[in-house]
Parts: sequence; structure tokens; C-alpha cells
Amino acid sequence: MNLPNQASRQGSDVSATAPNREGMLNQFRSAFVMLGCMLVVILLVVLLPPDGNERADWLQFIGRFHPLVVHFPIALFLLVPILELVGRRDRFAYLRLSVNFVLGLATLGATAALILGWCLARSGGYSGRLITQHMWGGVVLSIICWVCWLMRTRQRELGTAYAVVLALGVALVTWTGYRGAQLSLGPNHLTEHMPPVLRTLLRVEPGRATAVTADPNTFYGARIQPILSARCITCHGEDKHKGSLRLDSYRALMRGGKDGPIIQAENTQASELFRRITLPASHDDFMPKGKQPLSAEQMKLIELWIAAGASETLAVNAVKNAPSGSAMAAEMTFHEVDPTTVTKLRSPIAALVSQLQEQFPNILDYDSRSSADLRLNGSILGSRFRDGDLEAFAPIAEQIVVADLSRTAITDHSAAIMARMKRLRVLRLMDTHLTDATLLRLDSLNQLESLDVYGTPITPTVLPAIAKLPRLSHFYAGQTGIQPGKSVPEDLVGKLVF
Amino acid sequence: MSHSKARSRTLTELEIRSGSAGEVAFEFLQARTRRHFLRSLGGGLGTLFLGTMASKFAPSVKAAGADTTALDFSRDASTPLSELPPQFPAKVRRVIYLHMAGAPSQLELFEHKPELKKLDGQDCPASFLAGKRFAFISGVPKLLASQYAFHQAGQSGQWISDRLPHLDKCVDDICFIKSMRTDQFNHAPAQLLVQTGNPRLGYPSFGSWVVYGLGTENQNLPGFIVLLSGGKTPDGGKQLWSSGFLPSVYQGVQCRSHGEPVLYLDNPPGVSRSLRRSMLDTIGEIDQQTYATFGNPETVTRIAQYEMAFRMQMDATDAMDIRKEPASVHARYGSKPGEATFANNCLVARRLAERGVRFIQLYHWGWDSHGADAKEALNLGFNDRCREVDQPTAALLSDLKSRGLLEDTLVVWGGEFGRTPMRENRGGQEMKYVGRDHNPGAFTIWLAGGGVKAGISHGETDEMGYEIVKDPVEIRDLHATMLYLLGFDHHKLNFRFQGLEQKLTSVKPARVVAEILA
Repeated sequence: MNLPNQASRQGSDVSATAPNREGMLNQFRSAFVMLGCMLVVILLVVLLPPDGNERADWLQFIGRFHPLVVHFPIALFLLVPILELVGRRDRFAYLRLSVNFVLGLATLGATAALILGWCLARSGGYSGRLITQHMWGGVVLSIICWVCWLMRTRQRELGTAYAVVLALGVALVTWTGYRGAQLSLGPNHLTEHMPPVLRTLLRVEPGRATAVTADPNTFYGARIQPILSARCITCHGEDKHKGSLRLDSYRALMRGGKDGPIIQAENTQASELFRRITLPASHDDFMPKGKQPLSAEQMKLIELWIAAGASETLAVNAVKNAPSGSAMAAEMTFHEVDPTTVTKLRSPIAALVSQLQEQFPNILDYDSRSSADLRLNGSILGSRFRDGDLEAFAPIAEQIVVADLSRTAITDHSAAIMARMKRLRVLRLMDTHLTDATLLRLDSLNQLESLDVYGTPITPTVLPAIAKLPRLSHFYAGQTGIQPGKSVPEDLVGKLVF
Repeated sequence: MSHSKARSRTLTELEIRSGSAGEVAFEFLQARTRRHFLRSLGGGLGTLFLGTMASKFAPSVKAAGADTTALDFSRDASTPLSELPPQFPAKVRRVIYLHMAGAPSQLELFEHKPELKKLDGQDCPASFLAGKRFAFISGVPKLLASQYAFHQAGQSGQWISDRLPHLDKCVDDICFIKSMRTDQFNHAPAQLLVQTGNPRLGYPSFGSWVVYGLGTENQNLPGFIVLLSGGKTPDGGKQLWSSGFLPSVYQGVQCRSHGEPVLYLDNPPGVSRSLRRSMLDTIGEIDQQTYATFGNPETVTRIAQYEMAFRMQMDATDAMDIRKEPASVHARYGSKPGEATFANNCLVARRLAERGVRFIQLYHWGWDSHGADAKEALNLGFNDRCREVDQPTAALLSDLKSRGLLEDTLVVWGGEFGRTPMRENRGGQEMKYVGRDHNPGAFTIWLAGGGVKAGISHGETDEMGYEIVKDPVEIRDLHATMLYLLGFDHHKLNFRFQGLEQKLTSVKPARVVAEILA
């Protein structure tokens, strides 16, 4: 960057030949005024740091303009290196004339943003690692702006130092801006909605705000901390401690915030935490502020826990009448179907499956769009479906997980094929002519959960063999030779349905 | 100049004369919205840029804005009802929805409220009335205890009233949702909300969505069949089983409950099946030409409907003919062939479920127990309604269970809203008969079958059974849950219409009720 400073070259007859003390002073005055402002702010930052307490309306009102104002110096400052670099080409040399002006504006803006930022941090109830980093980033950045401006306007030759300081400033703008966005949008706002494909490519963990893990066998660990983690710690956690309160560990919870403890053991009414979460949402003290109130069950759990002594070690089942926890069931997440994976899974059988689908319309299909498992429904064809037809499905027998052959004309000759369907979960043979011979050959179906022989000539002879199927949970044996209650093996009790 | 004018005039006349071409053009314009314009603007420039860069990037560069995870529901035009696998492995393959039109009183059937009994006949507290709108209640009504005795039934010990002695035996298979809530308090919009996810006209019904998403197993029967048990058509009308903006081939087919199930299904005298076939072939050819010219998808629907009617001639008559069932079955259902009753329809429902019909919708009627006359009084007509549905519903459940069908069938029973714990006082007067007004704030629906916890109750109302105090379930939550059981993320079962990915659960966020899933 050893280029002559064009701005000063233009005014060379004034500043280069006759350095005038008065003029120098005038020139430096504005710089010193700005430096003064900055020093005041730095003094404020050091003496009156953000401490998590909320303060007067005026300060907060003004402070709220910080996110609005802060974007101007950012944009202006980032414009400077662009102007400098592009201006190096002769065609765009005129751009460099504007640099001083832009830098001056950026310095002014940075100082204003810094003052507003302090107002917001001091009055808005902020404290914690993020705010401190963001704040000092802003302070240093303002100084860098000022130094750049000083160098740009005072020096004739722009040395490497200027380039280095400018580059430092750009890096710091990025870092400080990111910290600020984390403050307002959440610590992982950038990666939160990253598509899974990119996520795996860049190895980004789907991070969440977490709390210190508590013992899951205690009532606190199993029932209370999950509520706090889900609803409270974005503002009262590691990164933000509004009201000087942290709720990410038992110790922090019991320590309380700026106004002292928030939990009085065995006294729900005197516990500030409980008072605030049960206020109407429109109340000034309501928590979580600006968000959905806790559910009735969550309130009940907290109430019961405080009433029981708010202990860290209380056993999970020691609290009577605690809501069952069924309502704490996880929200349903839906699996994304990745078409390429599914295509790959299906590739060994795809050709065969489509050929069979052509041959027997509507009776063979994939179990779902996300797998290569098949389901066979011969019952649609009724008595038109015979042993020979089932034979055609032999090559894909092991992919079939559900087979409905009810009301078909298959006979015991088909037992061999059915025995090859080793991954069957459900087998329906309702109203067929199959006999004990078939059922006695199904011992290879160790995945079978449901077997339906309603309305077949099956006899109790098969029961011991059926009882050995390891995963079987339902055996539908209505309208067969099997009668309720008679000679049922112990393993089948509760599984037989009539 | 004059030449082109004349030409444009003939064109307009042509367009007017050939209505369908105009319709297609009209629909095309309707479907194009500001969003399309803006998207093609940005997307167009973007793709131009990407097109030039494509060789440098990965081999497959998708058009800007294309949703790669959208599910494809397209099918061959000649088989619009062919089966499609669900999005992920599903617990439920078919639905039998028993809709009790008129909204049965949960306080006389499933909601045991001893506190309400203590306060019977007392003035309703003012807090119950503040900010509330009622269809008929005015002034200060009196609280009304349940008219019937309750007891605990089954191993699960769930409370049930003595009006349902048969269903009593099935409670261990049932999951009651006692905290259903709706935002509609008149029958037609409330029924529409339950059946189409929207209180206004023009949206596809639940059955239509399901058949659109999954097709149907048996191509010789409609995938979505509706049966009415005589009496009155539900207030929501045929719109309750319409396909809305989905292709009309997915609408519910209402079958007659007595006589021929579908009118004019038999060939007229002198017309043989082969003559019918060659007639349909010729009509099909003409329709294909029409489709080739104008591209209106409804032409294809028409061809498919003709073909289905042809196949149905054999199968529908057989499926609906309950005379083929033995006397013992009729005794259990209380069905009598030849009548239009809920009992007959329950038996038909079981036969249709066995034959692979995807969505079977039964409507019963007359549950609007205001007490304005004997027929709709809680102490009179209500008894008849209970008798009409109790035995066949229980028989249907136990039949499905013993045949192994209950494990992949979802049975739903319920109305469109609940009833008040206050006695109705139309015009501020005590009425001759006992009745309750509409209560959209709380009602009970029950589910039984695949993927649902059996023998539980979900949600709670207050001691009067008036408002929900725990785990409210919105209609859209119920829909999302049912679609989940059928193997769909409710966001993904959608259809592009008027610039939106329209879905059953509409635009408000819906939640799968994970607590009731087995």
C-alpha cells in the first residue's frame, strides 16, 4: 500500500510546503473530540459495566436504537478496503478521494453505536460472556476506526501499518458482528437451519443450549432441569445471565439473581420463580418474558418440587401426584426421506419389483417411501391368487415384511415360500384352507409379530410351535379348532385373540 | 387491421363455444399468482447464472426454489387411485370414521363429573358466561348434572355411562381424547372443520387427502366410501366428503344404505357386459381425443370413473350385500338387511375394510340434544341414538379385533363439538325437555386401533366438564396425529393450489399428539 495519498497530494501547496501550527491544531481538533468521546465511553464501560440489572426507561429506550445504528458504521467501514483496493486501478482512482470522508463517517457512527450499545447493555439486563466480548469488540473497533482515519488523513505515504490496521478492523467487524447476532438471534443462529446435507459435509453438530447435566434419577434431574433447559436458559444460561440469574445448574438456581434467592424451600408462595411463571403473561414480572407461558403441567411439577423441599437429591418417584410425564413426551420428529439412499437400497430388487408389479397389479408395493421393504397383498385377488402366483414372489421373499394372503386359494404347498420370508412382521392367512402343516413350518419367521389364521382349519396342535416364535405378540385364532382357555402354552397367554 | 380484428373476434367466439378450453386457460391464470411471477423473476435470473456455471459445480444443479424433499403424488392418468407407499412405515392402513353429526353430549357418555352432580339445578356462575357466545342459552342458565349413571369399566377402569352397555366391553381397546377443542360453534362449519380441516367450503375432506396420498388397495371399489344411516344428511352436506381443489376422482363416493348401493350400476335389460365394454372403449377413445386437445385433467377423471364403475359392477354389489353374512353376525351387530341403519353400515364398513377400502366414513344423525323437542331431548331421543350406535360400534370393534384388522385400522368416533354443563334455556325459559347447548370449548373423541395406546384417556376438563385444564387437542392436532399414523408428516402431504402448498392441517401449526401413540 505504498501509494501516495491522493487527498493530500491535491492540497499539497497548503499542507506540504507551509505547515501551519494553527491549521494543524484545527485539523487535529475534530480527531481529539472524537477521541474524547471514546475515552468517556471506555470509562463508562470500565466503571459501569453491564451487570444484568434492568434500568431506567430512558437509557433503555435510547439503547434499543443500537441494533439499528450499528449497521451504518459496519457497512461504511467495510466499504473502505473496497474503495482502497478498487481505487488502485487508474480507471477508479477517483474512488480514493472519498475514503477519508467514508472513514470519518464510520468513526462517527462507531462512536455513536458504542454509546448506544453501552446504554442497551447497561439498562437491558445483560451480563455474561457474550455481551462482554461483543462490548470490548465494539470498543476496540471504534479505536481502530479512529486510528485508520487518523492515519489516512495525517500521513502522506500510506504504509503497511495502515493496511494491517484496516485488515485487523475488517476481521474485528466480522467477529464482533457475529457475537452481536448471537446475542439477539441465539448462539447458533447461523447453523440452526443448516440443511442436513451441508451439516454432514461441514461436520456441524446440531447444537442446542444445554445445561449442566443433573442426575436423571433425581426428581430435579429428571423433571425440573429439563423444564429450565427448555424454557429458561436462553436468557438465564451460560451466555446471557439476565437479572444476574443463571438457571443452568442446581447451584446457580439456588443462588438466585440480583434480588436474592428465587426459591424458598417448602414455600411455593414465597418463591419468586414460582410467582413469576404463574403470573398472567401481560404482567411486567411475567416469565419467560415475551414467550409462551409454561404449560400447566410444568408449573405443577415446579410447584410440587418446591413444596417437597426443592432438594437436588430427592428421588424421581418420591413426589406423589406428580403429573405422569406422559405430557413430556418428545415432540414428533419426521424423518427426512433421502431419495438417493432409498434408490440405492432398492437397486438390487428394483427391476424385479417393477416386473412383478406389472404382472400382478396392485398387490406388491414398498412398505414406505423410505425403505426397500415390501408388502404383499394377495387378498385383493381373493381366490384368483394361487400357489403358482405366490411362487413368483420367491426371489424377493426376504424383502417382504407384511404379507396378507387372506381369502386366497393358496394351499400347504406354499409353506416353503412363506418360510423363506424371514423378515415378515405380519402374516395374514384369514379364511384360507391352510392347515397345521403350514403353521408348523413357520419356525424360521423370527421377526413375526402378528399371525392371523382366523377362519382356518388350524388345530391346537400348532400351539407349542407358535409359542416358540420369539417376537410374536398377537395370534388371531378365532373360528379355528383352537378354543379359548384350553391347553394354551404359557408363552401364548395374552397373545391369543379370539 | 380489419383482418386481424376479425380474426381475434372469431378466436373469442371459438373460446366461448368450446367452454373447456376457456376453462383450462382460466384455471391456468387462476393458478398463476404474484408469487409465481416474483419467483420466476428471481429464479429465472438465478438459473440463467447457474446455467452458465453449471459445468463448474456439482453434476446436478437443481432449479432455484425447487423443494428437493417434496413428495411426488403423480400417477398414470388412467389409474389415479393406484397405491402409493406412505412417506415412512405406517401403523395404520385404513380409517373407519364414525361421525356422530349433531355433537353427542360427552357429559352423558364419557365425562364423569361428580362435582357437577352436586351443583345440579343451581345458577351457573357468572365466570362461565363472561365473554362466551352460545347458540341458544340466554340469561343465567342452571347447571345440569349428567342424566345417566357412570361406572368404571374394563381393566383400565375408564369411566363410561350406562347408555353404552356394549361399548363398555371394549373400553380397554379405546383411547379417549377428552380435551378436544374447536373454534366453531355451529354444526355445518364445525363439521367442515373436523372433516376438511377448514370451516369454510372448498377444501378437500380427510378421506380425499388420504386417498390422494396413498391411493387405495382395491381398484375395483372406490377408495373413499361414505355411508349415511338414514335420517338427516349432516348439516355440512356433501361438502363433507368433497375433494375440494384435489382432482375430483378423490372425492368420497356416497353409497346408498338400502337397495342398490350405487344407482344404475347394473346393466339395463338387453345390455350385456361385453356390449358395455365396447361402449366404454369407444367413449374412452373420444375422451382421450378431448384430453389430447384441451388437456383438462377432469377428462381423465371421467375416463377413470367410467372404468371404475365397470369394475364395480361386480365387486361393489358383493361388498355391500350384507345378506351374505350369517344370522349370528346380524345378531351381534343388530343389523337387518334392507334397512338404512347405522348397524347395517357398521357391518358394511367391516366388509369394506376387509376388501381394502382405504377410508370408510359413516355418519349418524340426531345427536343435537338441545331439548327443544322429544327427539332431541337428553332424556328421550338421546337414548334412541345411544341404542342405535352402541351395539354395532362395539360389534365392529370386536369383529375387527378378532380378524386381526384392528392392528392396522384406525377407528374414530366423535362429533363436531361438545355440549355445555348448563341446561339449555332457550329464550331464557325453562324448557319442557332436558337438553344442553353447544360447547366448542371441550368435547370427547375416541380412537381405537393401530398405533394408538389402548385403554387410556388423554386430556382433562375442569370439574364441570366445561373447559379444558390439561393437554388441549385442536382438530388440526388430531388430523396431524392421524396422518402421522398413516405414515405422513402433515406438512408433506400437500397439494399446490392458489400459490400455496395446501394441506389438511391448514396454516396454523399443528402438533402430533405423541402422548397417545403406542
